[in-house]
Amino acid sequence: MRFDFTPEEKKFKRQLSSFLDDVLPTDWHGPADESRDDHWTLNQDIKKGLAERGWLVMSWPKEYGGSDSSPMMNTIFAEEMAYRRAPGHDRFGTRMFGPTLMRFGTEEQRKKHLGSIARGEIQWCQGYSEPNSGSDLASLQTRAIEDGDDYLVTGAKIWTSLAHRANMMFMLVRTDLEATPHKGISLVMVDMKSTGIEVLPIVNMAGVHSFNQVVFDNVRVPKSNLVGDPNDGWRAGMTVLNFERSGIDYAAWARAALEEIVDYVNSDEAAVTSAKTDPTVRIKLAELHMEVEAARLMCYDVSYRQGKGQIPASEASMSKVAASEVYLKVLDYGVEILGMYGVLEPGSSQAKLQGRFFKMRLFYTSGPILAGTNEIQKNIIAQRGLGLPRK
Amino acid sequence: MDFGLTETQELIRASAREFLEDRSKSDIVRSVAEGDNEAITSLWKDIVDLGWPSLTISEDHAGAGMSFSDLAVLLEELGASLAPTPLVESSICSWVIERFAPDSLKSDLLPQIANGDILITPAIVEQDASWDPESTKVAATRSGSTLVITGEKRFVAFAEQATHALTLVRIDNEEPALVAIPIWKADGVEQTPLAHASGVPVSSLTFNELEIPVGNIIAAENEAIKAVEELTAAGGVARAAQLAGLGRAVVDATVDYTANREQFGRPVGTFQAVQHHLAEMAIAAKQVNHLAYSAAWTFSQEGYSVVAAAQAKIAASDKIAELCWTAHQCHGAIGFTWEHNLHLYTRRALAWKTDYGDSAFHKSKLANAMGL
Repeated sequence: MRFDFTPEEKKFKRQLSSFLDDVLPTDWHGPADESRDDHWTLNQDIKKGLAERGWLVMSWPKEYGGSDSSPMMNTIFAEEMAYRRAPGHDRFGTRMFGPTLMRFGTEEQRKKHLGSIARGEIQWCQGYSEPNSGSDLASLQTRAIEDGDDYLVTGAKIWTSLAHRANMMFMLVRTDLEATPHKGISLVMVDMKSTGIEVLPIVNMAGVHSFNQVVFDNVRVPKSNLVGDPNDGWRAGMTVLNFERSGIDYAAWARAALEEIVDYVNSDEAAVTSAKTDPTVRIKLAELHMEVEAARLMCYDVSYRQGKGQIPASEASMSKVAASEVYLKVLDYGVEILGMYGVLEPGSSQAKLQGRFFKMRLFYTSGPILAGTNEIQKNIIAQRGLGLPRK
Repeated sequence: MDFGLTETQELIRASAREFLEDRSKSDIVRSVAEGDNEAITSLWKDIVDLGWPSLTISEDHAGAGMSFSDLAVLLEELGASLAPTPLVESSICSWVIERFAPDSLKSDLLPQIANGDILITPAIVEQDASWDPESTKVAATRSGSTLVITGEKRFVAFAEQATHALTLVRIDNEEPALVAIPIWKADGVEQTPLAHASGVPVSSLTFNELEIPVGNIIAAENEAIKAVEELTAAGGVARAAQLAGLGRAVVDATVDYTANREQFGRPVGTFQAVQHHLAEMAIAAKQVNHLAYSAAWTFSQEGYSVVAAAQAKIAASDKIAELCWTAHQCHGAIGFTWEHNLHLYTRRALAWKTDYGDSAFHKSKLANAMGL
């Protein structure tokens, strides 16, 4: 039992923090809006800087450019990046697809793609959800029909983050139309510049263009881009989700937001100057402080177990549910404590904290929805974690 | 970060489970709740023989010299089995004595607590039900080398079994002092048992010109206030560890029930509405467990932490009580009966929620620490 970081972990955290001090603009509050060119440039610069320091893929094995660092180290990295609301943390390439390729890809595929991810050169996006396949992902309909040495891919993916910035997509396609849903799916890599791909922006309720619909019309994909065996894509694709699922980003965002609220309440700028002595405010902020710490410890537990060689599916789901929910509670309270100022949009001359809390609250409505809704996570906790029967 | 138990802690857990499975069965828990004090005495005697009251007492004072984390592992099991025994009371008092008492008192009291000759319980709260030491009114007057104490302490757990009470008094209406008061069959001490939901004896203690030696003062003035603040924090962590175990036990029982109870031709535990209740309960139990262990570890390392204690006790108080209510919903009508054991857990959770500072008390402490 030890609830502290090792000296090595603490040192890394300091180094990363000091790097971020240098690269983030002095008035940086984030979060980044990757549809803005200046923010995207910052994203790319930071990603390259992280790659140069060996931090971008440090959890990867040495042979692929990593340093075999522990899952805990990786969590510290993700936490610090999220805490600073820093762009440049490439979830899709480094955290999700890279590890999948190491496990399921051919030697040639690994050589070709892992290096460019590790160097921060290529942006990947994830083609999973479809207009009619969300939580029921195995019902996906985008087809890949064999045509000589290629597949011809036709269909549509949706809610694809960064498709408008990405060079490559890893996507699930149906390669066997006759098989039962889980058995006929394959995982393929697609060049986003291929003929027949159309990226249609979707603006979210916060007014941000962060995801897209991607339409495929007979897009030619070489068979050599298949990852793993044909019709075995469900297994490979779900592995991605295991890498994806952690609440640490939310826990760190929640901590940063809570600190911002406390600073605001204590500042002269506070619209209601009595807030800091108001017992209801004090009690609510203390409760959130506890909730943030509870969520954070759940995320560390996931990393601890991963470090022990376990695949803590239920704990990972717990951490995602707990952290994404507490983040929304913090943001809700941030908006509430600003009173009538709370609903001023960013850009309003009288907005407090630059209207950030209102916008973040709208934006992170996505937290409990994306990467497996929290309802799906609770099914996993109940069935895989607690052993409740499915039928 | 290491969420695993040490070898010693694994041993503590295993032996506690083995012992409590037999010695804290639900019929014993029920019989104690119905006033069977002999069962308490007999269980406590066995616990003394196991050396548990000496666990965190230093080796210098005939204890086992183990850490607060080790104690938390044990308390989690006591909570899971609802063991009707004053180990928290004894451990927290000895912990405070070790940190605050003059050497002579330590050498006198601690070995006797370790070997079971002394059973000491905190008597801090008064009529206003507050754990804030500043609100203490029980009066002591100094008369030579004697303190004469008059006033009432409330919500004293296991006062009927205890030989001593660890009590905060105000000397000459001013100077706070933390004193060890012999209460076992003492003249000038009147006990009023309260019908308390915890299912263990809880009493009011009234002191009528009770005389104790000045030498029984463990800490005086600001140190006495500080000692009680630390006692409350440590008690909060200890209760949080028990509540973590209690929550785990209730989750397990509810999984077991819903996986087997059939309606519409299938176990009710297959319904998503029920599964989601259980998922939320499991998250809550896990969070309380992490915060309790994290706080206990911080106490082991730093001696004391108001923030860690507050986080643990807030979470334990609020989340485990809620978890119990959800468990009743999942159990349906059977869980609403006197016969079913679920209410024993719920009663205990509600009682533990209030002592060593309730959620609002610790939120206020935490808010102070956050700079609010």
